Amino acid sequence: MSAYTTGDAVTVPQVPVGETFELVINWLRANLSALFDLIGEVIGTSVRTLSDFLSEPSATQLTLLGCAIIAVGLATRGRARAVTVAVAAYLALYLVEALTGVLASVIGSLPGGLFYWAMELFDAGYVFPPLVLTLVLLVALLSIAAQRQWAPAGVVALAWLLVLVGQHILGVQFELFAVLIFAALAILISGWRLAVFTVLGFLLIISMDRWLEAMSTLALVLVATGLAVAIAIPIGILAAYSNRVSAVLKPILDFMQTMPAFVYLIPAIAFFGVGQVPGVIATIVFAMPPGVRLTELGIRQVDQELVEAGEAFGAPNMQILRGIQLPLALTTIMAGINQVIMLSLSMVVIAGMVGAGGLGNVVYSGIARADVVLGFEGGVAVVILAIFLDRLTASVTRFSPAARAKRMTVG
Amino acid sequence: MTEEETVPAVRADRLYKVFGKEGPRAVDLLSDGRHRDEISELNVTAAVIDVTFDVEPGEIFVVMGLSGSGKSTLIRMLNGLLEPTSGVVEIDGTDITTLPSNQLRRLRSQHVSMVFQHFALFPHRTVLENAAYGLEVSKTPRAERREKAYHALGLVGLEGWENHVPEQLSGGMKQRVGLARALTAETDIILMDEAFSALDPLIRRDMQTQLLELQASLGKTVVFITHDLNEAMLLGDRICMLRDGRVAQIGTAEEILNAPADSYVANFVEDVDRSRVLTAASVMLPPSEGLDSSVAPVHPDTTLANLFHRASRSPAPLPVVDDSGRLVGELDGSALLAALAPNGGEAGGAGVSGTGTTVTAEPGRPVSKEGGRP
Ligand SMILES: Nc1ncnc2c1ncn2[C@@H]1O[C@H](COP(=O)(O)OP(=O)(O)OP(=O)(O)O)[C@@H](O)[C@H]1O
Ligand SMILES: [Mg+2]
Repeated sequence: MSAYTTGDAVTVPQVPVGETFELVINWLRANLSALFDLIGEVIGTSVRTLSDFLSEPSATQLTLLGCAIIAVGLATRGRARAVTVAVAAYLALYLVEALTGVLASVIGSLPGGLFYWAMELFDAGYVFPPLVLTLVLLVALLSIAAQRQWAPAGVVALAWLLVLVGQHILGVQFELFAVLIFAALAILISGWRLAVFTVLGFLLIISMDRWLEAMSTLALVLVATGLAVAIAIPIGILAAYSNRVSAVLKPILDFMQTMPAFVYLIPAIAFFGVGQVPGVIATIVFAMPPGVRLTELGIRQVDQELVEAGEAFGAPNMQILRGIQLPLALTTIMAGINQVIMLSLSMVVIAGMVGAGGLGNVVYSGIARADVVLGFEGGVAVVILAIFLDRLTASVTRFSPAARAKRMTVG
Repeated sequence: MTEEETVPAVRADRLYKVFGKEGPRAVDLLSDGRHRDEISELNVTAAVIDVTFDVEPGEIFVVMGLSGSGKSTLIRMLNGLLEPTSGVVEIDGTDITTLPSNQLRRLRSQHVSMVFQHFALFPHRTVLENAAYGLEVSKTPRAERREKAYHALGLVGLEGWENHVPEQLSGGMKQRVGLARALTAETDIILMDEAFSALDPLIRRDMQTQLLELQASLGKTVVFITHDLNEAMLLGDRICMLRDGRVAQIGTAEEILNAPADSYVANFVEDVDRSRVLTAASVMLPPSEGLDSSVAPVHPDTTLANLFHRASRSPAPLPVVDDSGRLVGELDGSALLAALAPNGGEAGGAGVSGTGTTVTAEPGRPVSKEGGRP
C-alpha cells in the first residue's frame, strides 16, 4: 500500500473540515457563552431535581405529585375551571411566600398546638411553609373531587398517606414505594403484565444496589426525551407543511443520526464542561431525528381529503392541525417518541464517559476496570429501564382518539 | 328580460385553471380558442377552460363530464380551495378570488359547505361530532350545535346512530353523515363532488330521492358533480356539460335531450333513459274537446316512466292537470312512445335501436326498443 506514497501520486488538497468546525465552536463559545450557561443551568437543574425526586422525594414533592394526579383526573372530567382556580391560587400564594416570606410569619403567629403533633410525628424541626400550602391545595382538590364523587381521588390520597407514613414514620426506604408507584403507572397505562415485569425488574435493580444510579439515568433520559420531543414535533410539523423544509432537513437528520455519538461529546464538553449537561445535549442531538421524521410522516399520512374537508368548512390551519392532523397522526408520532426514548437510553453509557453519572457511569467503570460484574449489572439495569419505558410509551396510543374509535368498531 | 333582480348564488365568469408554471401564458393561448392538447409544449395541465355560468338561489345545478374533464377542479374553485388562474367566482355577489384568507374561511363556514366523494368523515369523531363540525368551526355553543346536528342527522334518517363512529357505518350511511355535516353547517350553498358515485345503485337511487326531497323542503342551492348523465338529468334543474375542461352545453335536461349542442353531447344523450327525464308537461298535447273526465288526471311533472302503465291500461287519453286544478293537456300511449325517440323520432330512430344495447338503466332497454319500432 505504501507504493502510492512514492512516484507520481496526485496530491489532493486537504480541506480543513475539522479545523473549521473547531473555529465555529470557538467563536460560539466566545460570543454566546451566556446563552450556553443559561441552557446548561436549566438542564442541569431539571435533571438534578428530577433525579432527587425519583430517588428521595420530599414530603412536599410527594404531596405535589398527588395533587397533580388528582388535578389532571378532575380536569379531564369536566372540572377544569375549578381545578384551574385552585392551582392558580396555589401558585400565587407560593410566589408571594417565596418573595415575602409572609406565610412563615402567619404560621408563626398561629397557635403551636396545630403543628407540634405533626412535627413530632415526622421528626421535623420546623414547619415548612410550601408544604403547608401544598397540603391546602390537596385538601381543596379533594373537596372538588368529593363534590364530583370521583372515587379515584380518594385512592390517590390514601396512597399518598401510606407512602408518607411508611417513609417518614416507619422509616421504610422510598425505593420500595417507588416500585409500587411505577407498577401502578404500568397497570393504568399498559396492563398487569407490564406491572408484574415492573415489580420484578425494579426489585432486581434494588437488589443489585443500583437504584440511585438507575433513577439518575431515568431522570437524564426523561429530561433529554422531553426536550428532544419538544424540539422535534414542531420541526416535524414544519417539515410536513413545507417540502422545502423537508428537503433541507433530510440530510441534516441523516447526519445527526449517523455521526458516531461519541463525536457529539467533544463540542458538548466544550460548551458545557463535564457532567450531566453535555450528556443530555449529546443525547438530544442523537435521539431527536426519529421524532422529527415520524412526526412529519404521521402528518403527511393523514388523508388529504380530511384536511380538505376541514378547509372546506372554513377551519383555520391551526384548528385543522390540532383537531384533525395531530390526533390522526398521534399513533405514528408516539412511535417516534418511543424511538427517541430508546435512542436516549442507548446514549446513556456514552454519556457516562463525560461524567453524566448514573448507570452509564457504572458500565463505563466496568469497562475501564475490566470488571465484568459491574459492567453486566449496569447493563441489565439499563435493559430493565428500556423495556419498562418502551412498553409504557407503546401503550399510550391506546388513549388516542383514533384508537378509541377503533375500539368502538370492534366492541 | 329582467335578469338583474336576484343575485346569483354562485357565479363563475370566464374561469380558467391551468396547473403548471406557465399557467397565465396558457390562458392567453386558450382564450384564443386553442384546444388544451395544442399547448402541450408549455408543460401545463389545463383543467378548466373559459367556464361561465350562474347558479340561481334554490337551484340544483349539475356539472357533468367524464373523468379528467375538470369537474373537481371547477368545484374546488367555487369555494376557494383552489385559486383560479384567471376569471372570477362570486358567491352571493362577493368576488371570492380577491378575498383575504380569513374572510374566505368565514365565507366558507357561513355560505358554502361541501360533501365529498369518499365521504371524508373524521374517523376519530363520533357521527354527531362529525355532523356538528361546521358549527364547531364557527364557534357555535356546544349545546346548540349538538341540537342542530341531532336535527340534521334526523333529517337524513340516522337517528340512533349519533354516538357511533364512521367506521361502524355502511357506505350509504356514511354519505348521509356527510350530507348531515353539510346541512348542519347551515350554509345556503352545498357543493357535492361525485357525492353518490361511490354508492351502489339501490342506495344511490335512495340518496338521490332524499336529496331532491331535502332540497325541496330546505331550498338550498346545490352544485352537484357527477359523471353519470342519468343522475345529472334526474337531479339537475340545469346541467352544465364539461368536455376537456370547456363547457359543451348548459341547459335543462329537456333542452339537452332535445337539442344537443354538438355531436359530443348528442352521443352522450343517446344513452340516457329518456323516460325518466321527460315529463308529462313536455310531451302532452293540447287538451281536446271531448276528453273523458272520468279518467284520473296526472300531474305535469310526472316522468314518462311513471305513466306507461297508466297509459297502456286506459283506453282514453290521460288528462294532465296542474296544481291549481287547471286542465293543461292530454296524453296517450302513442305520444309517450314518440317522445322516447331522440330528436323527435324519424332521423334518430335507427340510432336508438343501434344503441339500445348500450343503455345501462334497467327499464331503458325495452323502452328504447319500442321507441324504435314504429
Ligand atoms: N393539483 C394538480 N396539479 C396538476 N394537475 C392537476 C391537479 N389537479 C388536477 N389536475 C389535472 O387536471 C385535470 C382535471 O382534473 P379533475 O380532478 O378536475 O378532473 P375530474 O373531472 O374531477 O375527474 P374525476 O372524474 O376523475 O374526478 C386532470 O387532467 C388532472 O390530472
Ligand atoms: Mg373529481
